[in-house]
Amino acid sequence: MNNWFFNNFWIKIVSLILAVITWFYVNEEIVKEKHMTKQLYKSSIINRVQIPSYGVKPIK
Amino acid sequence: MNDYIAISKMLVEIGILWFVYYVILMFARGTRGVYVLRGIILITIFFIITKQLNLERINWIFTKLFALSILAFLIIFQQEIRRGLANIGQRRWSRFFLKESEIISEIASACFLLSRKKIGALIAIERETRLENYIESGIEIDAKVNSELLMTIFTPNTPLHDGGIVISGDRITTTGCLFPLTQNPKVSSNLGTRHRAALGISEETDAIVVIVSEETGGVSVAIAGRLTHDLDREAMERVLSNLYRPDKKGKK
Repeated sequence: MNNWFFNNFWIKIVSLILAVITWFYVNEEIVKEKHMTKQLYKSSIINRVQIPSYGVKPIK
Repeated sequence: MNDYIAISKMLVEIGILWFVYYVILMFARGTRGVYVLRGIILITIFFIITKQLNLERINWIFTKLFALSILAFLIIFQQEIRRGLANIGQRRWSRFFLKESEIISEIASACFLLSRKKIGALIAIERETRLENYIESGIEIDAKVNSELLMTIFTPNTPLHDGGIVISGDRITTTGCLFPLTQNPKVSSNLGTRHRAALGISEETDAIVVIVSEETGGVSVAIAGRLTHDLDREAMERVLSNLYRPDKKGKK
């Protein structure tokens, strides 16, 4: 176990740093995306876009 | 409760990312690709910093270049990706099942038969450091280690006998490899090119290199820039079994 930990120690540390940076970066992007989507809903842009006013006739 | 779930999810995700990065870095180690990879990592970090600092123009350029860089990455690492996928398919898993004593015995048999016939041989056994740079200079054969094949490879006047061979796991991966000669001025001038090449690669990597002298028939082993001359079969097998798998036996 000890051997496993110290073998390629620096590669493991660099990988961990990169993994943490990537996780926080992606997490922030996801949070931003969610926030933007919420705002879009709030400002009812999506509702307006979804109104069937582009020549789509309801099926009778 | 939700906090615990969120934290454990985060740890699992970071763990997966860590594993992916670790495998990529280990794979690139010892290849030409490591410098490119280092450059890509630096550029990515720079990209993240510019994004955090809201440097929109710089960030815009990086975003556009990113799409191109994926293509460049695939082209630059074409060989490594191909080799890596092949490894996942076959070689790496076989390491879990390989019997090191059998491999050592095959190598020792070949070396001492070659020694008796005074046929020169140069065998580099890969350990932690990948020998990709040297593999690229040779001819790929990818065959299971066996003494008859080793003897055939080193038989004079055959197309593959020049240069060294690389053994990785239980496979002879390449023959006819060019190894760098040692630049150590303290090395005896009596040593020939084969021994100098063995010392050279053992200085640059952690490989174990077995040499059979063409002149004397002596079997030597080079590790970390040090040469042990004229080993008998028992001593050679002992040295190899102590050093062949550092993860299992402990480093020298």
